[in-house]
Amino acid sequence: MKIYNFCYLLKEGLRNLKGNRTMTIASVAVLVSCLILTGAATLFSFNIGLAMESIEGNNSVTVYLQEGMPTLESVQIGEQLRAIDNVAECEFVSKDDALESMMELLGDDGTVLEGLTGSENFLPDAYDISMKDLTQYDQTIADIKAVEGVDHITDYSDIANKLTQLDNLVTMVGFWVVLLLGVVSLFIIANTVRVTMYSRRMEISIMKSVGATNWFVRWPFIVEGVIIGLVAGIVASVLLFVLYNSVMQVISGIAAFFTPVPMTKLLLPYTIAFMLVGAAFGALGGAISIGKYLRKGGSDLVGI
Amino acid sequence: MIEFQNVSKTYANGTKALKNVNLKVEKGEFVFIVGSSGAGKSTFLKLIMGEEKANSGEVIVNGKKLSSLRNRDIPYLRRTMGIVFQDFRLIDTMTVYENVAFAMHVVGASPKNIRKRVPYILGLVGLQNKAKCLPAELSGGERQRVGLARALVNNPTMIIADEPTGNIDPALSFEIVDLLSEINRRGTTILMVTHEHNLVKHFHRRVVQIHGGEVVADTMRKTAGTLGSNVRSSGEGTANENI
Repeated sequence: MKIYNFCYLLKEGLRNLKGNRTMTIASVAVLVSCLILTGAATLFSFNIGLAMESIEGNNSVTVYLQEGMPTLESVQIGEQLRAIDNVAECEFVSKDDALESMMELLGDDGTVLEGLTGSENFLPDAYDISMKDLTQYDQTIADIKAVEGVDHITDYSDIANKLTQLDNLVTMVGFWVVLLLGVVSLFIIANTVRVTMYSRRMEISIMKSVGATNWFVRWPFIVEGVIIGLVAGIVASVLLFVLYNSVMQVISGIAAFFTPVPMTKLLLPYTIAFMLVGAAFGALGGAISIGKYLRKGGSDLVGI
Repeated sequence: MIEFQNVSKTYANGTKALKNVNLKVEKGEFVFIVGSSGAGKSTFLKLIMGEEKANSGEVIVNGKKLSSLRNRDIPYLRRTMGIVFQDFRLIDTMTVYENVAFAMHVVGASPKNIRKRVPYILGLVGLQNKAKCLPAELSGGERQRVGLARALVNNPTMIIADEPTGNIDPALSFEIVDLLSEINRRGTTILMVTHEHNLVKHFHRRVVQIHGGEVVADTMRKTAGTLGSNVRSSGEGTANENI
């Protein structure tokens, strides 16, 4: 295609949009909501994944020893724990260390624990254990529990299970909602383009009568759809960015340990993906309408 | 240029629009096609434009058998013909200039060509001073001249005019046909469907009468010799290039 043809078709596509503002805005709005929902669902999934990774990733469990365990016995238990096959590292965390790190975590409020230092310390001694192979998680946990003097283990498998369930639910609900909205937005774009086409049927009939190829007739309408899609893509990614940041601020306030996927990293790929998906939807919507119209053939259009 | 060989056309609803039509139009001819409505004139034009296909027989345009034409070749067939409509079919929101340029844009002409060609064609139909007018500001006769300019601008080898004078003042009808005659004199084949007997009588041209889907009269048959020689003197060879 020659440059001037490309420019001409682009200009025509823009003219379509201007002439058909209400429908254009409606199409953009629906497509934006569709993209935002898709984006939100995927972001949620990402973060769940990240949280799971941080839980599993350090693949550590904390093994608490029975209260008042003498130091020597604690050390012996440590030896037994190290002897378990799947244990990679086994680090002793004394109750004093545990108290200190807890005070650190609480920050200024940590001073309330000051009275508990020394012999007042209610915390048990513990071992931080990391595993070599997570697939043997359950077996290893059982082995650890079998060691005498072990009181209990912080077990993250429950949390991990719940997160996985939540993730699955969100993915499933998200999938159907997005599918539904996708169909709706395709339908609305197709209708928007059809309205333009109807208002320009005279031009189309003239184009066909002077020998414009079907593709030449088609392009401005596809351009119209693609522009709707691109605009929706940009709007959706900006809105999602703003939304995500504010939601993450709230969540970080509640759960300090949780570090969300930083949006700055995701903004570019999301914007690109949104624009591509939007453009594809727009093109498809436009093509659906114009295809129907062109198949009608000349008689209805040229009308001689 | 245009040849119908035993052409019949029956529509899906059973209407027999054309029955065994044989006709030959040579390059450079000017042919009036007359007949009452429903006689088959529209079908005749649609077959030439490749918009309908004959059920039997063969339509040959520019030496090409239309029965073997693929759909995607039809636009290129249309580019060899300029079509003039009874209702002008101008785009209201475009100026005269833009309306004519539009026809060039959509077949992919370069802006440079368009800038050169459109004023020239507007001059040819006597509208050089109306280039910036909207169709609403023009008289019926002027609007049809825009339609004619648009049909001509892509340099077709034939003009197909479907009752071009049907919507304009009778007095101005002669002007339009004069213009068509002038275009014909420069070598372009003209097919003009009309109801107006005055015009047909006034301009001594070949007349093909269609009735009930059949060609019932063709003045060519009576005066073939004289017309034939006329054609040769005016429209042979590459005369078309100067339009």
